[in-house]
Amino acid sequence: MLQRKIFMVVAILAITAGLTFAGGRREAADGRITLQVFHYLDLADNTSVDNFNEVRSAFEEAHPNINLEFDFLFDEAYHNRLQAMAVAGQLPDVMFLWPGKRTGDVTGAGLVQDLSPWIANVEDEFAPAALDAQGPNGEIWELPEQITATHVMFTNERLLDELGLTFPETFEELLAQGDVIRDAGYIPIAMDNAGGWQMQSTLLSALIERTGGRDWFDRALVGDASFTDPEFVRALEVIQTLSEENMFTPGVNQAEYGQALTDFVNERAVYFIDGGWRTSNLASELTAEQQEYTGYNVFPRLPNEQGQPDSTAIVAGTGFGMNANLSGAQADAAWEWIYFFAGPQGSRIKARQGWLPATVEGAGPDAPLLTRKLSEFLATTPGGYVVDAIMDAEGMGVLHPAIQEMMFGVLSPQEVAQRYETWVAANDSGRR
Amino acid sequence: MNSLAEKRFAYTILVGPAVVVYASVILFPILFSFTLGFTRWSGFGTPEWIGIQNYTRMLADPAFRIGLRNNMLIVGVSVFGQIPFGFLLAYIIYRKMVGAHSFFETVIFLPITVSAIVVAKLWNQIFSPAGVITQLMRIVRDDPRYVFAVFENRDLAIFPILGVIFWYYTGIYMVIFLANLHKISPDVIEASIMDGAKEHQILFRVILPQMTNIVFTTAVFAIAGSLKSFDLIFAMTGGGPARYTEVIAIYMYFNTFRYYNYGYGSAVSMMIVVLSLGLITMLLGVSRRFERRYS
Repeated sequence: MLQRKIFMVVAILAITAGLTFAGGRREAADGRITLQVFHYLDLADNTSVDNFNEVRSAFEEAHPNINLEFDFLFDEAYHNRLQAMAVAGQLPDVMFLWPGKRTGDVTGAGLVQDLSPWIANVEDEFAPAALDAQGPNGEIWELPEQITATHVMFTNERLLDELGLTFPETFEELLAQGDVIRDAGYIPIAMDNAGGWQMQSTLLSALIERTGGRDWFDRALVGDASFTDPEFVRALEVIQTLSEENMFTPGVNQAEYGQALTDFVNERAVYFIDGGWRTSNLASELTAEQQEYTGYNVFPRLPNEQGQPDSTAIVAGTGFGMNANLSGAQADAAWEWIYFFAGPQGSRIKARQGWLPATVEGAGPDAPLLTRKLSEFLATTPGGYVVDAIMDAEGMGVLHPAIQEMMFGVLSPQEVAQRYETWVAANDSGRR
Repeated sequence: MNSLAEKRFAYTILVGPAVVVYASVILFPILFSFTLGFTRWSGFGTPEWIGIQNYTRMLADPAFRIGLRNNMLIVGVSVFGQIPFGFLLAYIIYRKMVGAHSFFETVIFLPITVSAIVVAKLWNQIFSPAGVITQLMRIVRDDPRYVFAVFENRDLAIFPILGVIFWYYTGIYMVIFLANLHKISPDVIEASIMDGAKEHQILFRVILPQMTNIVFTTAVFAIAGSLKSFDLIFAMTGGGPARYTEVIAIYMYFNTFRYYNYGYGSAVSMMIVVLSLGLITMLLGVSRRFERRYS
């Protein structure tokens, strides 16, 4: 009874606060609609900020009757505030969302509107993969601004030539290149995994698609298969072998995110494994000549592959969604912005910064060279699941450190798999 | 209105507002957090009452135990490292055993004036695989793949951080002790010198007994601060690699704000409070013994 009373008090306070501070969306007498927009943007990243401002100015010019009031946060701070606003029932009119579990608490709580009715009118303008269902009943909570390949094996083809090598066809060939590359003073594969997520998102996910494929993952998700199966263990074994053979950046698990990019840009590494989103960084950091000899590849073939060969891991990108309480003219105004941002008009502006849009027109012939390379990569490369997009975030707190411990030689791949399966079986929402 | 009623009315008027403010910003959040610690709640819907499950899960979680161990090591470094060393430095400067004591005082105090985040990034830059010291070691050892293995060792990864904590916070204790040493009348020390007291006798028989209270007060600060340490470690390692450098506050942060387990996170925060109160109570017991001994 006591806790119920306490929660009643909290609820009353939250509602009172909501009534007091509400008033984000307004329709002025002249018909001008004002919307509160919460955006995920690093204000210290001048390139992204300039690019975003260009999109925003273009929208304001095209829609003088809509006034957008932006609020910006980045990284954990954004997610914490979004969660707090959702709990307090004070979500803004429009907010930046993830297609998977990253913002699943908010989208899954009925606080965000399904965009499907609006998308139905512009469906043909978007790549099919971008409009995959995001909710359990086929809902689309946010309109993706891009399609993300979380695994690209960026290759410095000039260094490969210099060392008398070619891009390896198989895993064994890749391992055999290790000595040649290290003896020449280079890093075979630049990666940074201090955060732990990089190895899972940018390599393990693609490896699982090779060793197990989507069918196996679908079964593991609901408990018809187990993460202790050989499909998962073999993917872990590849990472263990690469680590034991010193193929990664020295101290890969101490290296902060960004170090591998620096090594690759400064031509200290032959290969660089990261997500396709690194294209915008590479486009601004690499010289025109370097961009010419930067290749977009996937990890070489593994023995006895069960899934799609030469595949990467793909997830629909982030984008804006709207508050479930919006209706009428406000909802239409919110959709105007959501569509402008992710659709052809906004995408053309963003493509200039190296973003690959989710629209069918793709990067376009005028896009920077690396954006066109990424566009071609995505058009020709099949994709599997990204683990942290479909499994619970808390489970990543088990998997990521376990992979790091495996790379330190403390755990075996089987032990990592067992540890993760134990957690998933007891806790993951897909198994409940 | 009789005098008792007047008194009550006056107390209510004078103290009431302060009590309301205190209750709403201190008591209520603590009680709410305490209650929440017995529930499962993701922030949405009604919290589910699960009794002490959060606490049993916490004690069984190896990650929590690593955090607890790391916190205890930080308490150890603070209480048995920073405080004695801070006192020693203050004493050396107070007794003018070195020249240019103002310079040393400034240099020792300097780290604490820098933001913990800046300090964390600074040390990261030095010891990271791309850092200065690592590059130097690669040249010295003629090993282009050399990295500090200590950071990848479950038992030892926290020790470099303990070193940074020791370096960063010792200055503040030195300044506190120095300020209190200056309160001691110089006549007392002069008298003991005239009586033939040696330096160690002055320290242990004259100075320390007068500093007992301040030593134990700083120890209380050290324990409370150590158990809630977060910013420096989070900025240095984020608790990694493999959660080897995680402390309880980081564990709580991840569970509450990354995995949205508000009930579990509240239970962890209560555990920090319980540990803090337990250690401070033990310290007070020791403090009373010392006081009796010197009195």
